[in-house]
Amino acid sequence: MHRQRSLYILAALVFMPVCRLSAQDINDKVELAMKQAVAKAAPSVVQIVTQGGADMVVTGPKGPAFRKALGPTTGVIVGADGYVVSSAFNFINNPTVILVAVPGKAEPLVAKRVATDRARMVTLLKVEATGLPVPAFVPRKELRVGQWAIALGRTLDAKRASPPSVSVGIISALDRIWGRALQTDAKISPVNYGGPVIDIQGRVQGILVPASPRGDGETAGFEWYDSGIGFAIPMEDVFAVLPRLKQGKDLMKGLLGVRLASQDIYGAAPIVSDVVKDSAAAAAGIKAGDLIVEIDGKPVVRMAQILHILGPKYEGDKITLKFKRGNEVIAVNDLELVSSLKQFAHSYLGILPMRDDPKLGVEVRFVFPKSPAEKAGLKAGDRIVKIGQGKTMRPFSGTKSGRDELFDFLNVQSPGTELQLEVVRQDAKDKKTDMLKVTLDRLPGIAKAGQEEIPTKLPEPASHKKALAPLETTNPNIKPPKIDPGKDKPATGFIKRLATAGGKYWIYVPEDYDPNIAHALVVFLHPPGKHGDDDTERFADAWADYCSDNRIILLQPTSDKESGWGPGDMEYVLETVRDVTSRYTIDRQRIVAHGLGVGGQMALYLGFHARDLFRGVATIGAVATQMKDNVAGQRLSFYIAGGDRDPLIKSIAEGRDKLVQRNFPTFYREIPNRGREYFEEAILREMIRWIDCLDRQ
Amino acid sequence: MKRTIGAAVILLGAIAAWPTHVPAQQPFTTVAAGVNKKMVKLFGAGGFKGLPSYGTGILVSPNGYVLTVNNHILSTSDLRVHLYDGRFHHAKVVVKEPELDLALVKIEGEVEGLPHFDVDKASSQPLAGAGDWVLAFSNQFQIATRDEPMSVQRGVIAAMTELRGRRGIFEAPYNGDVYFLDAIACNPGAAGGIITNRKGELLGILGRELKNTLTDTWINYAVPIQAKADIQRGDKSDTVSLASFVRLGIEGKYKEGEKRKLVDKGGYHGIMLVPNVVSATPPYVEEVMPNSPAAKAGLQPDDLIVYVNGELVTSIRAFRELMKHFGANDKVTMEVQRSNKLKSVKLELTEVPKLTK
Repeated sequence: MHRQRSLYILAALVFMPVCRLSAQDINDKVELAMKQAVAKAAPSVVQIVTQGGADMVVTGPKGPAFRKALGPTTGVIVGADGYVVSSAFNFINNPTVILVAVPGKAEPLVAKRVATDRARMVTLLKVEATGLPVPAFVPRKELRVGQWAIALGRTLDAKRASPPSVSVGIISALDRIWGRALQTDAKISPVNYGGPVIDIQGRVQGILVPASPRGDGETAGFEWYDSGIGFAIPMEDVFAVLPRLKQGKDLMKGLLGVRLASQDIYGAAPIVSDVVKDSAAAAAGIKAGDLIVEIDGKPVVRMAQILHILGPKYEGDKITLKFKRGNEVIAVNDLELVSSLKQFAHSYLGILPMRDDPKLGVEVRFVFPKSPAEKAGLKAGDRIVKIGQGKTMRPFSGTKSGRDELFDFLNVQSPGTELQLEVVRQDAKDKKTDMLKVTLDRLPGIAKAGQEEIPTKLPEPASHKKALAPLETTNPNIKPPKIDPGKDKPATGFIKRLATAGGKYWIYVPEDYDPNIAHALVVFLHPPGKHGDDDTERFADAWADYCSDNRIILLQPTSDKESGWGPGDMEYVLETVRDVTSRYTIDRQRIVAHGLGVGGQMALYLGFHARDLFRGVATIGAVATQMKDNVAGQRLSFYIAGGDRDPLIKSIAEGRDKLVQRNFPTFYREIPNRGREYFEEAILREMIRWIDCLDRQ
Repeated sequence: MKRTIGAAVILLGAIAAWPTHVPAQQPFTTVAAGVNKKMVKLFGAGGFKGLPSYGTGILVSPNGYVLTVNNHILSTSDLRVHLYDGRFHHAKVVVKEPELDLALVKIEGEVEGLPHFDVDKASSQPLAGAGDWVLAFSNQFQIATRDEPMSVQRGVIAAMTELRGRRGIFEAPYNGDVYFLDAIACNPGAAGGIITNRKGELLGILGRELKNTLTDTWINYAVPIQAKADIQRGDKSDTVSLASFVRLGIEGKYKEGEKRKLVDKGGYHGIMLVPNVVSATPPYVEEVMPNSPAAKAGLQPDDLIVYVNGELVTSIRAFRELMKHFGANDKVTMEVQRSNKLKSVKLELTEVPKLTK
């Protein structure tokens, strides 16, 4: 009986609060608890203000046209001595000034960017302050799906004294984005990126960031804003990397360095198709055909599992790995992950070839001063007929033009490789050949930033004017590609055309167009608003003489959007390019995306995202961001210009440095006493010579 | 006996584990049913250029006065109102107030005893604040017709702050403080709908679809029922409240105002900025005119102006827009960045100096 009574009491204790509280009262309590949680965390949530930086940043192949908003963003205090973290998204436009407004302090403080965690896209800032409130956080092991998740931001209200903005949701999932983030259904957007998501006790669960399992970089996942799918980096992980970030060096994702045979990351077995040179995988002795079976003691049968295990790791982290070769299982311990896979660098001989030449081999049009070709004694007018390494000399086959065969050969050679060239001299009698020894260099513009020189004068003619003639071959079994000369003479002059979706575009073809000469194609992307017929005509007028003298066709797609170009316009632009390449003889090695300001940002975007088409990107007043790696078969050169009065000039120069780090041949031109306007004549001429050099080898 | 007790404990335990779910839903259900009766679906002009031809409104009197947003769907001679019970009526616009972005519509024909909101009473309540739970009601996407109920959404008030249309940053139909919501409530047709607190008490009127260019995101907002707006009637300026607009409108005494124009007060500061070369050139000081207010305040070339009276200035354009609000003798505090430090300076503006011969 005694026991029964105690059970009753227990039941009453459990039951009573429920009986007493109406449902409204319970909601009142939860609402009050949430407000208290917000109030507890609020002093650690700071407002971040930036000024300057790029006008437009593009987000991804299908991402929205994105102009980095100018409004304030959010951060969280992580060190009493002035350390603040935020989402790397908030600094993608590379602002010149960052200010942090700490609640309760009258004056905002000037902040420095210390470092960015590039794996988790969190940036550490430092301000000069002491005694700042560091919030409590929820340890990872206490995070549970279904817990309240309250997202805070300091963006909506510019008044520094106001409370943070609130969005309420729950934790939807853990270990998302390959183990790096938690997921919430609170409304996550630029309104609170960089801010905290807190639990109902006011402890920080994580830092809000845009993220996507299908992309890397600061803006990946931005297209999911306010969708009910939001991500945060667990706070415990943020605190764990703080000591490393405070060193001032960006933290990079740890990479293994294998490419797999199948693109199907969820279905196919992880069979290696390619191992990147100098990578962790190469160090482990992995070879093409090997099957990865275990990482860190966890068996793996699909690529997705590998991504899950490696996702949270940084450069320098060590793993254990097992792979299978035939029937043998090979185990590797203490394998150190690398930060970046070695960037490919193009090799360089130092010549400009004659174009539209159906004969076997490559005739030299110009030898660059101080190049390996000059050192080897190669001269303009010489014809390279064989190339060899060691004792094997390789003749040209005639399956494509000699110039393009040489491209294919040199693209797979590393700088530093020693070669022999068999050449027929211009004045040689009886086709007697000379053997020249040459050591390949790196393509200029990548060894030292901005050191590349464009020759002030290039020899003419540049073409044998036989672009449509059948190629000479060594093997009668090889059939040269058929070229259809076309029946009608294509239209010349200033031509207006319509794309399938209705967008209009303009082509300027020199009046003396000759289909037997391959022309360079310059795709000009106008600044926002300059899309009128008179704007495009004026531009074509300015270019007309250069087009004729230098065999260039000018294409001007137009965008009537007020903010200018965006990634969504790519398909339309490519359609216009394909239209021109199908009508006119275009040199595939010299298709250039060219633009000013936002048009320049679009040119950079096109360069990286339509690499099968573009070989050059020339911009004025645009900042190179969101870049991809340099690859052998799709060479991409850059001409980056900016006025020294352009407020972005520092960012433009930094963008150039980043291109150089990735081994992209980059020419940089800072124009004195100019803001962001189109070139004056001398500089335009220089750019045109740069276009003429795009097929240098 | 023992067994019964055991079962009772288990049962009670089960109930105790539930309360945040089951009972919590009941009041929302009751509230939603009550609120729905006071709301109407509006059908009018639109259907082209992506503009919806439908909208939402609330009854504000027993005899069929409807409060809704002052948008394009009212531009028709064939405005129709669907009541909660499926009755439908033709309706006419009585009066509009562009500065509140609201309009009063009257159902034609005799209607009596309709359930309605008491706007006077609602507007006498204190304002809600960030973190308050709210319910949003509207006929977004025209999901409901005739007697079908409104869509109900749950959310919280994210922030209470000004709809930042004032400083020429982006155009907003209403210039005062609004409730920002974390629910995605401002969809096509939702404007004129409402937010209430958990008890179904009217808090605000849902606004239009609007993009915030400061964050590049869509805004979900409601104009508080306590809203006030500055209007101009001839050469007189006046402040009207939402409640007085409704009350006087019903009485047939409300006189529509004109938009109060922003006059450039043209106070002189003597700051010359760097050339405005891009859309967001930061406001760097190029030159300070001698003996000007800026010179007296100690501004120097290369200072970067970050805040003016606490307001962030993101570009030269924003700075010029903002300075139009200040005239001679106005005191302006600027925070400028000078060699990596933020410095506060106070300017007292003057008349623009006359050119001397």
